[in-house]
Amino acid sequence: MAKGRELKGRIKSVENTRKITRTLEMVATSKMKRAQDRVAAARPYANSLAEVIAGLYSPDLAERFPLLRQPAKINRAAVILLTSNRGLAGGFNSNLIKEGRNLLRRLDGEGVETQLHVVGKKGLGYFKYIGREVASSRIDITDRPTAQNAAELVDGLIDQFASGAIDAVYVVYSKFISSLSTPPTSVQILPVTPPAAKGPRPDYLLYPSAEAILVELLPLYVRNAVYRGLVENEAAFQSAQRTAMKNATDNAGDIINVLRRTYNRARQAQITQEIAEIVGGSAALEG
Amino acid sequence: MLKVSVISPESVLFEGEASSVVAPAYDGEIGILENHAPLMTLLGTGSLRLGGAGADKRFNIEGGFLQVVENNVRIVTEKATAA
Repeated sequence: MAKGRELKGRIKSVENTRKITRTLEMVATSKMKRAQDRVAAARPYANSLAEVIAGLYSPDLAERFPLLRQPAKINRAAVILLTSNRGLAGGFNSNLIKEGRNLLRRLDGEGVETQLHVVGKKGLGYFKYIGREVASSRIDITDRPTAQNAAELVDGLIDQFASGAIDAVYVVYSKFISSLSTPPTSVQILPVTPPAAKGPRPDYLLYPSAEAILVELLPLYVRNAVYRGLVENEAAFQSAQRTAMKNATDNAGDIINVLRRTYNRARQAQITQEIAEIVGGSAALEG
Repeated sequence: MLKVSVISPESVLFEGEASSVVAPAYDGEIGILENHAPLMTLLGTGSLRLGGAGADKRFNIEGGFLQVVENNVRIVTEKATAA
């Protein structure tokens, strides 16, 4: 029964693994639900801002606002790459890193000097490993990112852009379309591409003036783009983790079935052999 | 009645009716009653008060803007907490 005991041990160990992956799956499912709600809750603000900016924007204003400045040639760009702090989420982080590297490679190819800002332990670990210089990194953003986090991330870059030190800012994150579709995406957040206006703008009384309002609201719009990146990325991470853990749980179940079958077969073979030996022995005695 | 919504980046803090709105505009407080002309103004820091049939609702807000169109008042602010 030596082989039997070995199989029993393996069945136990796979069962324990399955227990862990199943628990993680359930945790990720409930966190995903919450993260999804946060994505939905962030929508009214983003829509209102976009609507108002679209209403106030006119092409001749673009010349005068630093954040709308369209540089003739991009010389220096910043890339903010959002990843997660934890793993066990399948290809989630490697897809993001791949997207980020593609963007960096494309910018390098165009002769653009790039600075990389990384959020999340996983991305930071990777770029440390390949030895690429990282301009700044954040690993303290929790699974409930706040608007404050977004502001801290991007405010410095807004200033740099306004002063002309950099010509473009990109964010790489996983877009949360649904729990099954979370493609990694790169979005250019600076210079601001004004949202398209829907319909004519109502005749407002504007205090202090259209321009002053625009000056105040553009940074809000940029910050909000980053905030949305953070919350969508978090929701995408939780759903990736849930899928990965579900696959692992299913897989563990399959392995357990195969091992059990092998174990039962071995047990039966041994019993059959024992019976054959007894029958043979008694037949020999009867002579 | 005015239809009021108070929106922060993280969530919609309030959505409902009120008879009056007093908000901290960039240069001082501004009051909105029914049938106000379409208006958009920047907000400063201070407390936002919504007057209703029952008790007033108060929020502490910081930055953003207030928009009035056809008795719909929308307060979109960077930081808002119920007070």
